[in-house]
Amino acid sequence: MLLVIVSGLALGGLYGMTALVYNVMYSTSKVLSFGTGQFAMVGGIVTAWLVLDFHLPTWLGFLACLVSGAAFGWLAEVIAVRRIVAVSDEHLWVLSTLALSTMVQEAMAIWWGTDPTPFPRVFPQEFAGAFDQKFWFPLILAVLMAVGLEQFYRRSMIGKLFIAMSEDSFAARARGVATDRMRSLSYVLAGMLGALSGFAGGQLTFADFALGTALGLSGFIALAVGGIGSSLGALVGGAVLGMLTALTTHYFGAEYQKTIAIGLLILLLVVRPQGLFGTTRVRQV
Amino acid sequence: MKHDHIRPLLVGLFVLFAAVLPFITGNLYYLHVATIIGVYWVLIATLNLLVGFTGQLSVGHVGLLAIGAYAFCLLAGGQGWNPFLALLTGGAICAVIGLLLGLPSLRLPGFYFAMATLAFGLIVSELALAEQWLTNGSVGMPAPSFPAPFDTPWGFYWLVLGIAIFVTWMTANLARFMWGRAMVALRDSTVAASSVAVPIYFTKLMVFVFSGFTAGIAGGLYATSQTYITPDAFIVNLGIYFFVAIIIGGRGVIIGPFIGAAVLAAIPELVGPLAKYGTFFYGFILLMVVLLLPGGFGELISNLALKLRRQDQASTSIEPDLGALQAAIRGKR
Repeated sequence: MLLVIVSGLALGGLYGMTALVYNVMYSTSKVLSFGTGQFAMVGGIVTAWLVLDFHLPTWLGFLACLVSGAAFGWLAEVIAVRRIVAVSDEHLWVLSTLALSTMVQEAMAIWWGTDPTPFPRVFPQEFAGAFDQKFWFPLILAVLMAVGLEQFYRRSMIGKLFIAMSEDSFAARARGVATDRMRSLSYVLAGMLGALSGFAGGQLTFADFALGTALGLSGFIALAVGGIGSSLGALVGGAVLGMLTALTTHYFGAEYQKTIAIGLLILLLVVRPQGLFGTTRVRQV
Repeated sequence: MKHDHIRPLLVGLFVLFAAVLPFITGNLYYLHVATIIGVYWVLIATLNLLVGFTGQLSVGHVGLLAIGAYAFCLLAGGQGWNPFLALLTGGAICAVIGLLLGLPSLRLPGFYFAMATLAFGLIVSELALAEQWLTNGSVGMPAPSFPAPFDTPWGFYWLVLGIAIFVTWMTANLARFMWGRAMVALRDSTVAASSVAVPIYFTKLMVFVFSGFTAGIAGGLYATSQTYITPDAFIVNLGIYFFVAIIIGGRGVIIGPFIGAAVLAAIPELVGPLAKYGTFFYGFILLMVVLLLPGGFGELISNLALKLRRQDQASTSIEPDLGALQAAIRGKR
């Protein structure tokens, strides 16, 4: 039973981190990217590739993971978001990010193969059941990431600019904020954080090409449950979803994971569309 | 007036070509590809009403296809029903599920709804694997074929062709008249549409029911065309393919998605090495179309047609008959 709870929390940490990544991109561009989960997938596979196939030390794999995530995030902004946001059609960004996400996933499937491969150990630790690093590492990193992002939004200049852009992009631009550069920067940051979550959860999920879609969906459910824009909501939503997933797997079997998860999403969205910690925004007609 | 005759002529020529296709090519494999395109089109034609006209981004219609296919196999194969009755029942079941799928769309904005339908597609394939007593799990089940005139590849092809033409005709009727205007109005501005008394809920749900019904029919036909179905046949990538076909074809045009569906289905089948890169290729095409040609190929074609038409409307200058005018003025005096 302890193992069920711990694995649920670890999964919850992973989902929460993905939800945080959604938030970072949403703050500057108002785009919910279909490819959010792919950052974690790319980061995980790059690390597994370098450390296991080339026998590089883990810290180098970690650096490469962050660099690849940053590069992918920047590319995603340049290819799929920049021109679409300029056109400002409501639905086009759904399509462009879906297209990019599909391409990246299929490219990885062709290059890396479709079988999940094991992920290297990060810390020298014996396998320790419920207290193994594959459980506590993602959980701790998720909390650190949420706290760090909150500090970043409140204390640093760039973080404040992100907040300003999420409030009103045009007003921020009028006050001399380089909104295009900030958006680019937020995608680089999102890519790094996403790859970091892939690194943290690698031992739990393995380096798998299909991780991106599953994580993108689960992270989005966590985000919708918690409420868009809230770091605390992302963590809580992730934890609720992770616990539900683990308990479902324990009592009913792994086949019903998604059924329960999406049931939760639909139920909550129908009852409380803005999420638990979200704020309603009055829409002008 | 001239142009009003061109479109029916083209459609008639195409139908004739499609009908005699089995006599042109003796190759059974090409016939199979043509049949598959027809089956997909039965689903895509009405999904286009949903995605292209009403603007509901459903990525999960592959789930409805799967339910239709399993219902058909269970009823016609396991229970020994008449295949046509089983086909219609599968369609009815999917119509009800389509209605349920449509309910959240009344409240969820675009991306939320796309995610919900994606999850629906995943759930269906998950349950098809899990509920072994019903679906045989990953082993799959054989699909029955249709009775006498339709049991050969040619006969089945003509059956699919007939259903596809009927569905296209219904879709065209819906799209061209009041329903279609209501859908487009909903897509472009829900608030404006409701302010001019377009029944939002009713219109949306009717489109969901209709597209669910034909998705179920397409599922039954798909099962027969494959002769054996497993949960692997209904992966989410197939749903993305339907979606991409509509987007590259052009939203809100009827013939565009057909071109999209045919091209997307035919290229990986006919160019062997591309099969492995099929889904990558779909993603690439989708990205290119979204970035360079947001209206899709359908819009490109209709713009070209419009340009051709404009030459006919060249301004003609009218010379005033000054003599008659003078005479008229003088006569009055």
